[in-house]
Amino acid sequence: MVVAEGVSKWFGDLVAVSEVSFSVGPGVTAVLGPNGAGKSTLMRVLCGLTAPSQGRVRVLGRNPRTDLGLRRHVALVPQQDSVFEVLNVLEFVRLAAVLEELPDPDAAARRALALVELDPDDRRPIATYSKGMRQRAKVAHALVHDPTVIVLDEPLTGLDPRQRLHMIDLFQRLGAEGRCVLVSSHVLEEVERFGSRVLVIAQGRLAAQGDFRAIRDLMNDRPLRVRVRAEPARALASRLVETGCAVGVRLEDDRTITVDTDDVQRFRRQVAVLAREGGARLLEVVPLDDDLESVFRYLVERR
Amino acid sequence: MTVALYRLFLRTIARRGRLAALGGLGLVGVAIALAVRGSDEADAGASFVNGFGLVVVVPVVALVFASAVLGDTQEDGTLVYLWLKPVARWRIVAAAALAVATVVFPLVGVPLVVAAALTGDGADLIVGTAVATAVGLAAYSGLFLWLGLRVRRSLAVGLAYILIWEGFVARAGDTASRLAIRSYTRSVLSAATGAEFELADVAQPWAVVVPIVVGLAALALATFRLGRQDVA
Repeated sequence: MVVAEGVSKWFGDLVAVSEVSFSVGPGVTAVLGPNGAGKSTLMRVLCGLTAPSQGRVRVLGRNPRTDLGLRRHVALVPQQDSVFEVLNVLEFVRLAAVLEELPDPDAAARRALALVELDPDDRRPIATYSKGMRQRAKVAHALVHDPTVIVLDEPLTGLDPRQRLHMIDLFQRLGAEGRCVLVSSHVLEEVERFGSRVLVIAQGRLAAQGDFRAIRDLMNDRPLRVRVRAEPARALASRLVETGCAVGVRLEDDRTITVDTDDVQRFRRQVAVLAREGGARLLEVVPLDDDLESVFRYLVERR
Repeated sequence: MTVALYRLFLRTIARRGRLAALGGLGLVGVAIALAVRGSDEADAGASFVNGFGLVVVVPVVALVFASAVLGDTQEDGTLVYLWLKPVARWRIVAAAALAVATVVFPLVGVPLVVAAALTGDGADLIVGTAVATAVGLAAYSGLFLWLGLRVRRSLAVGLAYILIWEGFVARAGDTASRLAIRSYTRSVLSAATGAEFELADVAQPWAVVVPIVVGLAALALATFRLGRQDVA
């Protein structure tokens, strides 16, 4: 339903998206990547807000940049918080219904607001709303015309855990109805909850794609650097290398070593045993690059 | 649907602070008009309408509202909610232009016409002021609406155009003055009242026709721009 063929986008010297190709169908697809990876730019290109510098995008077989009629079937929840501050939430969602020329804009707006659990009779201007409420108002605005393709840029930020679950449940329902739901996120745990297909974007490139479990396995298999403090450290270091638990060990000082391992599970199981065997007292084990950034870096370098 | 857009734009530009500040400018004009009333100088009333109304109030008020109507939505990221809708681009621009007209014509026209009447210089001045103000607002509003979409700091760029181009460069010669809306509005006033101003030599009906065409052409440009620009 959404197809990108060799899509690149650059702004002057800055390459935001580089040679991204994929094809997604009905259901929820997560777009995972760290901040600044090019997710938002990619989503803007998919919705036609900006033309790709190179490559081609097709949504439902049509060009999102030029095809005004296609917009009846597409919706975007943009990342920015801004909404028309002077309107109240019903007016904001109704506006979308009117611009889509729906037969009964009022009923459609109320239906959409019910989906995100916002009170349509709240007369306060949206200016007074919290981030989470704005986020839900934006989702209602996007869903009012029953779109087939729904693009959501970081829709879960600012929501509390209960709202998050509700929203994820909503996305899954929309996906199960046969719509194409593209959700971006920089939080691994969120994406895990979607339990869906994942596109991993890092440094503007498509670093990996596939089922979430496959992506997670890939991430678990990556080499990990760990700092170990033990007394004496040298004894433990030699045991780690001898047994193949580590692919590289560097002695920092008498009590500290830096260990590179490509089998995290085995290292975790073995390190205490090996320390005891080597007659060393284990003081501390700290993973050095166990953050999402390094996961993405690994996925990019792997290619 | 154009009505819904019109209402939205009207509500977003008609902020109380803006209306009060620029309405105050009109009241200042009325006060000056009362002071001019006693003057023996020939064409004092016309000089005042030209120097204060056409040079300051008309372009500045048009700038504030017209550059904001679409420019602000672009600046704060709300344009995307309109842009992604299957609405013809000209409808968006037309609704924005109508909203600006709804605000600026009463806000500028009423105090300037009242001020012209208060100077006691007669019906010619009142008619001249009304027509010159109307064509000036049409041209400036269209131009600044397009400018709001085109550049980021439209308020600063618009002020630079009013102060530097119209106030300074355009006085250097005939060709340059033809590129200043001020010389057309001034010519309208001059033709109605017989008062002499520098660079007020555009013949009728061009002094009326050209500004209106400029305003409409700017709206066409804005429509074109809206359809092809990038949206954040």
